[in-house]
Amino acid sequence: MLIELRVNGELRSADVPPETTLLKMLREHLDLPGTKLGCDVGDCGTCTVIVDGVSVNSCLLLAGRAKGSEVTTIEGLANSNTLHPLQQKFEEYGALQCGFCGPGMLMSAKNLLDNNPTPTVYEVRDALAGNLCRCTGYTKIIEAVVDVSRDMKAESDA
Amino acid sequence: MKKRGRGMACMWYPIGFTVLANPSAATVKVNTDGTATLLTGTVETGQGALTVLGQIAAETLGLSTDDVHVVSGDTDVTPMDTGAIASRTTYVTGNAIVKAAEKAREILFEAAAPLLNVKPNQLEARDKRIQVLGFPSSSIPISDVVQHSESVVGNPAIGSASYNPPTLAMDPETGQGKPFNTYVYATQIADVEVDDETGEVEILKIVAVHDCGTPINPMLVEGQIQGGISMGVGFALQEEILFEEGRQINPNLTNYIMPTSLDMPELEVGLVDNYDPTGPFGAKGAGEPTAVPTAAAIMNAIYDAVGVRITSLPATAERVMMAILEKQDSEKTAATG
Repeated sequence: MLIELRVNGELRSADVPPETTLLKMLREHLDLPGTKLGCDVGDCGTCTVIVDGVSVNSCLLLAGRAKGSEVTTIEGLANSNTLHPLQQKFEEYGALQCGFCGPGMLMSAKNLLDNNPTPTVYEVRDALAGNLCRCTGYTKIIEAVVDVSRDMKAESDA
Repeated sequence: MKKRGRGMACMWYPIGFTVLANPSAATVKVNTDGTATLLTGTVETGQGALTVLGQIAAETLGLSTDDVHVVSGDTDVTPMDTGAIASRTTYVTGNAIVKAAEKAREILFEAAAPLLNVKPNQLEARDKRIQVLGFPSSSIPISDVVQHSESVVGNPAIGSASYNPPTLAMDPETGQGKPFNTYVYATQIADVEVDDETGEVEILKIVAVHDCGTPINPMLVEGQIQGGISMGVGFALQEEILFEEGRQINPNLTNYIMPTSLDMPELEVGLVDNYDPTGPFGAKGAGEPTAVPTAAAIMNAIYDAVGVRITSLPATAERVMMAILEKQDSEKTAATG
């Protein structure tokens, strides 16, 4: 089936079998392998992308259901010159170790800040609860997200 | 009712196995553009080992970490390393890198000494220059010294070395000896809240203080400790491989439960700044030991809160509740008995 959607602001399309998940379509048909395949059953969250303003496990969403949607993936965060503020803070804080949870963790964090620019620490923890990380204990990830929101607030106040 | 408790656990952990050979080798070459290349057989698994090893090479050569290009884990080109295991990388591989970089540095000292009218042992490598000890004004950029050493002296600046914590057999009669070259130490303290009607345990805060020698990169050590604590939290309260007739019945993350961002308590990490003369720049190690005391501290905190000893992990709500009920039963029997 032909599926057309907007990915990171660009109109993309692919002819995929109906059972194709959005994750598989992104990775194998649209050449966007930044979104990772982890557990493939919706437990680990490393496949998280933003679809029409909602963060979803792309391994659980059929590509057909995303037809016509606006999708943001990890490839949509940085441009060739600058990192997204979240990516910058993750780097500064040493928030990732092996990094496999990174793409999903960053998309969940972005979706949180898009919808709630001044979250409490609990709200940050809650927003990231669907993204498992075995390396870091989450501490530096949470600190980095809180720091980005602090910067955003300082900017908007200025 | 929710009851609070505080528990503590201390540990030591061995670094640098000495009963059998446990070597790491390294090659360091300094280039004419003033950068250096480090070849190491160990691998990066996210712990930041290559950053730390690059820092060790840079510090020995008087360069910045950005100047060191690390080539790792490719048996086509990199020297032998026992591996990124046993919390040994900083200590064993780091020591090999110090020795290799010192050999390359020695070649630079020999080339620079006549140019600066001193003996090689009166030189030091600092701020990307070879300089007379304590006299930065009498110095030459490392890039120039490399160039001179290569094309005039005819001795390119390269060093290869290995380090093997001195192998020592155990006493065959007593089974005693010195099985490791050094040890790290830590204390962790956990504050918990236990619901004595459901057995549910919530960890409120964990404070962890570790002696890993001189931390080469404190931020990365903190990350190791925080990650180790999260593994300890899972070990203490959640993670359990369940078997039925020899088969694992919880083989995925839906029913093998590990900590999420909501399960992690507030963490406070402290580093005891120590110096181990046998380690690279005083460092020991920080990998596995970070997870060692966590579960014990949590179990002691549960005991402090509700007076029960949990001796089989994980301390799920069911297990804690059973222990509380048993305690209440035995208290009743004792009272009426």
